Amino acid sequence: MPSDNRSQLITVGVQGNVSSPEYPSLPASPYEIGADGQPELRPSPGGIVYNVKVGDSAFGWLADMVQPGAGIRNPQDGPNHALNILSCIGNEAVVVSGRALGARGTVTGKSGRFAEHVIVNFPREVLEKLAIEDRVLVRAHGRGLALTGHPDVQLKSLSPRLLDALETRETADKLHVPVAAEVPAVLLGAGSGLLNESGAVSIQTDHAETVREHGLDRLRLGDIVALRDYDSRWGHGYRRGSVAIGVVAFGDSRRAGHGPGVTVIMSALHGRIEPVIVAERNIATLLGLSVPLAAAV
Amino acid sequence: MRTNADQLVELAVCGEVWPPTGANTQYKATSEGKSTVTLGMAGICYSARVGDPAFGWEADHLEPGASVRNRLNGPEHALHYLACMGNQAVVTSGSAQGAVGTVTGEHAHILVDFEPDVLDLLAIGDRIQIHALGTGLCLLDHPDVRLHKCSPRLLDALRLEARPDGTLAVPVVAEIPSYLMGSGAELMADYVDQDFMSNDRAEIARYGLDKLRLGDIVAVRDQDHSWGRGYYSGAITIGLIIHGDSAWTGHGPGVLDLLASRGPAIVPVPDPDANIAWRMGIRERGAVANALPVSSYAIYG
Repeated sequence: MPSDNRSQLITVGVQGNVSSPEYPSLPASPYEIGADGQPELRPSPGGIVYNVKVGDSAFGWLADMVQPGAGIRNPQDGPNHALNILSCIGNEAVVVSGRALGARGTVTGKSGRFAEHVIVNFPREVLEKLAIEDRVLVRAHGRGLALTGHPDVQLKSLSPRLLDALETRETADKLHVPVAAEVPAVLLGAGSGLLNESGAVSIQTDHAETVREHGLDRLRLGDIVALRDYDSRWGHGYRRGSVAIGVVAFGDSRRAGHGPGVTVIMSALHGRIEPVIVAERNIATLLGLSVPLAAAV
Repeated sequence: MRTNADQLVELAVCGEVWPPTGANTQYKATSEGKSTVTLGMAGICYSARVGDPAFGWEADHLEPGASVRNRLNGPEHALHYLACMGNQAVVTSGSAQGAVGTVTGEHAHILVDFEPDVLDLLAIGDRIQIHALGTGLCLLDHPDVRLHKCSPRLLDALRLEARPDGTLAVPVVAEIPSYLMGSGAELMADYVDQDFMSNDRAEIARYGLDKLRLGDIVAVRDQDHSWGRGYYSGAITIGLIIHGDSAWTGHGPGVLDLLASRGPAIVPVPDPDANIAWRMGIRERGAVANALPVSSYAIYG
């Protein structure tokens, strides 16, 4: 296992409230316009989702960018930026108010622009006791993490706990990372141009045939994926030869430019990261989260 | 070219010349992880007009001409959705009162080109009223092509040609490959623009994109910008370059959507002169700035 600087990192508490789905006030309409121009009304991202969790399919749910578990957000912008920037996938979350007081969960991803949620997995019995606006504290740990032998591999949103679970292998000049799938740059959309400190970059799914050709229609929430020719060291964007690694954080969307979102955890130029496709690579198993339900249709 | 222009309503929308803004943390990270203080957006730009190069300025997201915005949320969105490219803009207050300019972009602000002597008289806060005309414009013989922000005046300048096979030929300066479309993918096609990503400097040079000028008409293959903006194999989008280059990953010159089809209804045709500056009679072809040296942030290593 590669050595790193985790002994120098701090663990800091950041906090948000369990969010609610939202729609614009009247006279605005609640519809999302699909890539084909058709309006549909679907549950918007956020809130408490009872029946979709990490390990389930990222596709087939009648919802827009479904967040598995609870989406949390701080009502004030400054603290919400901190929550979103400092939380790392694999961090522990604790319910600090309400009927589920003391219950523990795990950060599994970050939503894209406009929602600005941190997504937290809780066991089903905890979800049943959660209420919207319950406060959830994240023990944020991982910001500043760096690999001793690979200083030019940038790590973001990555907890030491998840890094250990990734089972990377290092050679002199490369970091080999097992992944469930690879996404070509042409399929990366919403999120390009935004900073990688929080949020996600979306796999564009409007052209179903291209998605199938790359085996991406089988993606599950929580899958580890590689992004080809994509540089997420600072902001997100195309760069030939770069590779980023991420976790599928939320589900599909009908909107053009959107689809399952990937929260990026590693990024490097010049082939320093070598993805290795394996049969299955999902944080539900890697982090010992709740057992996946059957995949959606 | 048959259109429904007779049915369109011309109406006033307005804003004011908006000041450049700063922040306590003005520094931003470039694609190379360097810190930079950026300038180029908002206010009155005296140095660049539509027709001038999009690359080479020591600026980020350079907005040519005067940048207009409304301080109220509702009217601000009216500006965004109703002002069309090529619309007339009139100064309604201040020393340049009565002067007329042309809408050449919609970015964070509406971008209006004025002659230099008008810019010299403009002040931040001066009110600008736009004769908004073009929302809802359709090509009656090309129902598979969706138009965005095209005024009838802009449509003429595009020099579209209906081909015998029913497709629409559009002269363009360059084609941008789908995978280079970046920041703005999350938005709908009728709001602001989508940058093409210039941070891979070798890649954009391969396609000649580093030579683009503000006001150039471009094509993007395999991108359907009919409603949202996304990858769709076989789709074509035609856009307008509205703002300058950027140092940030995932950003670059802005492409504002003009025409889109989900299938092959549009055929781009190479034309190095396809620029609205001279095609709309705003500027003389020979009077524009020459290509500039490379911006400092575009030099890596």
